Amino acid sequence: MEAEFVKAPIEVYRYDPGTDRAPRYDRFELELAPHTPVLTALLKIRSDLDPSLTMRYSCRSSICGSCAMVINSKSRLACQTPVGPELERHGRIVIDPMRNMPVLRDLVVEMGGFWGNYRKLEPHLVENPDRPLPEGKTSSMSPEEVDRFKETPRCIACGACYSACPAVEHDAEFPGPMSLAKLYRFVVDPRDGAHRERLLKIQTGGLWLCMRCHLCTEACPKDVRPSERIRDLKEMAIRLQGATEHGSKHAIGFKDNIREKGVLNEFKLVRQTYNSLEMLAQVPQGLKIRRKKPELTQTPKAIEGLAEVEKLYQILDDEPGDSP
Amino acid sequence: MKLAYYPGCVAQESGKELDLATRWVCRALGIELVDFPNFSCCGSGFIDEANSILNVAMNARNLAIAERAGLELLTVCSTCQGMLTLANRRLEEPAVKAKVDSALTQIGVQYRGTTPVRHLLQVLTETVGAEAIRKRVRRPLTGLKVGAFYGCHLLRPAAEMRSESAEDPHSFEDLISALGATPVMYRGRVMCCGFPILFVKEATANRIAGHQIEDAKAHGAHAMATPCPLCHISLDSFQNQAAKSVGQELDMPIFHLPQLVGLALGATPEELGLPRHLVSTDSALQRIGQVAVPT
Repeated sequence: MEAEFVKAPIEVYRYDPGTDRAPRYDRFELELAPHTPVLTALLKIRSDLDPSLTMRYSCRSSICGSCAMVINSKSRLACQTPVGPELERHGRIVIDPMRNMPVLRDLVVEMGGFWGNYRKLEPHLVENPDRPLPEGKTSSMSPEEVDRFKETPRCIACGACYSACPAVEHDAEFPGPMSLAKLYRFVVDPRDGAHRERLLKIQTGGLWLCMRCHLCTEACPKDVRPSERIRDLKEMAIRLQGATEHGSKHAIGFKDNIREKGVLNEFKLVRQTYNSLEMLAQVPQGLKIRRKKPELTQTPKAIEGLAEVEKLYQILDDEPGDSP
Repeated sequence: MKLAYYPGCVAQESGKELDLATRWVCRALGIELVDFPNFSCCGSGFIDEANSILNVAMNARNLAIAERAGLELLTVCSTCQGMLTLANRRLEEPAVKAKVDSALTQIGVQYRGTTPVRHLLQVLTETVGAEAIRKRVRRPLTGLKVGAFYGCHLLRPAAEMRSESAEDPHSFEDLISALGATPVMYRGRVMCCGFPILFVKEATANRIAGHQIEDAKAHGAHAMATPCPLCHISLDSFQNQAAKSVGQELDMPIFHLPQLVGLALGATPEELGLPRHLVSTDSALQRIGQVAVPT
């Protein structure tokens, strides 16, 4: 059977910082079968039309993680993205290098920051004195213990999550979704002896800069779901050491706040998160808002059935037990 | 149509204008809203971080209230929508369900997991329909270019939210067109507003909000509209700070979703609580002939 071909207008980001004054987009038009991966299209451009096109790739099978790029505004693997649905949705395919990393040339970015953040989190097992390695054997885990890793071992370190993340984009202190998902993997590994130290360190090491926008989870080609593992880390960190900085203070403060009325006491939440000096710094903005929205500093009425909410707190928060 | 109205905390407090506009629009469209004074907060993502099981249980209690009344639950906040939907999904995990059910039993509540959670945007575009709304427009917003700002939790995680395309949604833009305005497409429309870290690192949160407003402006938006009152706090209440952080004047009117609909259906700015905004909406109202252009 003959495959049906479609016209595929492809616009590719081109930039060589050594010679070009500014980036540009080169437009190519190919005839492709709809199931053709974007990577194959790019290789065709390179072999038939422009041998100078520069990109990273290797396995072409979503395993090596080399060909992550931004395709029609979304960070993903070129080998895993067929051209057909993109053309149907957007009428063309616009290809950019990954975001949040400097461009070396065309679609190749400098990934030093990405790897550096990962390395800082010490992504290796630290010996656990409570569970010494058996002499001459590998350390085994029960199936239940392995299940706790959830999806994280599937990560191929392609960088798509790092490219999609607004916290990475706007704050150098944030280690990035992959690093934190990998950190989670060590924190729940029963063979690792540094759970506490890892949680203590990350609590003030940018963990709370995650905005739970879930863009990383959507970008991940392996469904590692980094944003959910970051959420798990936050809960584990709070259980281990309570409030240590603004993020955990705010989360715990919020939880305690709702217990009182069933709904949010907005003004009180500010006091639960900030110290007196920080409160003072908030006064001018607070007054500006209150002038238009007087409810800001009013105590809300308690909900009906507040006793039910209180009981849920008693059962599930005062003695929380293990989190499933 | 009759729905269990879940306003969420902010719309009952500092974001009261959202509640005013929601009630006005639903009245105009014949949607009956049933109030339940026993709804609690959805946890706003923060309780989920502090104690995820408590968060599911609190929301299961909310969902059970609507279930007992046999009604679908209506949210007007992307975050409430996200948290209540997430509770429905997490209750599909047997271990979570067992723990939550046991706690609910002790307060005499049962939740069978049948309450659909729907955001006002979904009700307007999927149930009422953009075309039906177009026919009700009394004052088309012709000439007004509006950048939709969806808010993360209405769309993501896509596997849990199961709504329209998370990467390329169009319902809000369809609605904006039906009102006679022109939707503006820009990258930031599906991005984060920065609100969740407003209390963690305000400078970063403001920079993110500023960046999204700049983006909408650069693509020609005269105004932005959001289905989330938390995005509204970042984009409107803190816009002065956002402007400082990106080093430029923004002056971007930010509408709550039902305010924009209400304007087109004939409500006055006062009925929709527009004077309560920190950034004046007058420049947008002038474009649609709602207030006089100053001479």
